[in-house]
Amino acid sequence: MNEIRNVNLGGYPFTIDIDAHEQIKRYLKAIERRFADSDGCDEILDDIEARMAELFMEFLQGKGIISMKELDAVIKVMGRPEDFGAEPYDDEYEEEYQESRSSSFKDRYRHIKTGKRFFRDPEEKVIGGVCGGIAAYFGIENPMWIRLIFLALIFFAGIPILIYPILWAIVPEAKTAGDKLKMRGEPATVTNIARTVEEELNELSDKITEISKDLGSKKKSLDRDPFRREEPYRKGFL
Amino acid sequence: MKIENTRAQMRKGVLELCVLSIISEKEAYPSDIIGKLKESKLIVVEGTLYPLLNRLKNANLLHYTWKESNAGPPRKYYRITDEGKQFLDGLLDTWNELNHAVNQSTIKLTTNE
Repeated sequence: MNEIRNVNLGGYPFTIDIDAHEQIKRYLKAIERRFADSDGCDEILDDIEARMAELFMEFLQGKGIISMKELDAVIKVMGRPEDFGAEPYDDEYEEEYQESRSSSFKDRYRHIKTGKRFFRDPEEKVIGGVCGGIAAYFGIENPMWIRLIFLALIFFAGIPILIYPILWAIVPEAKTAGDKLKMRGEPATVTNIARTVEEELNELSDKITEISKDLGSKKKSLDRDPFRREEPYRKGFL
Repeated sequence: MKIENTRAQMRKGVLELCVLSIISEKEAYPSDIIGKLKESKLIVVEGTLYPLLNRLKNANLLHYTWKESNAGPPRKYYRITDEGKQFLDGLLDTWNELNHAVNQSTIKLTTNE
């Protein structure tokens, strides 16, 4: 189930589901940013909007609501912002864009391009999650390698022993689902966040079943324990 | 060096020529234009055509009129201007020169095959 909204696209009213609405806003923003410096920016956008409206009408055939499916189909015809020579629109949050607008262009560009940030990984931690975070940042599957390098450096040079606590203190922990996506460099879109949350829920339910199994077996062994010594006698008697 | 980039550059170079010549035949709606360009792989997605048309229009090489359509909002139909025709002739001359030059310089390669 999804919330819906009414929008005006190219002068025509549409009913659109909330995810598709957010996505279409980002899409048009990305294109607008691309043509912001050219003379006919407004006109280009109007043309593109009008054509999108026309395509939506074609795809919807007068029924229903614009969902991600129709939007994807329309974007496939129109082209992604990269095809216009614009920055990809998936890789950023709107707020992030606002935030990064104040920083220098180079920073902003780098930030948008990778979409990655250095966080401590609470799921992959032995001490503070620093190595796990480094591994996630560089896309290394097993953080053990980073830990081994860290340890090796401690033995040979001794420097990381100072660096580790500093990183532990200054690098934020990835707390929210959005943080975790940024840590791994996946774009924080609605679908991706949903996926991460789902993964976490699955993990949690796995853990709960594990714990309940554990408790169950402990209980059983406790129940059995007092009789265990007696069993041979019983058997003997019987 | 990626061959795709060079190919894209080459296509981009002749895009204006092709758009102008398609429109010079008869007035056209962006979707008609895109259909022809897609066939020849000159353009892959529709969106990129709008900035190009806008640029050509701002340079007075094209102008458009609104026309009602059966399904949906009114559409812009583009037509070439006199200035556009001259521009197109100029481009065609250059194209023929280029075509000749390219054939000359690649003749060995093509006859060897």
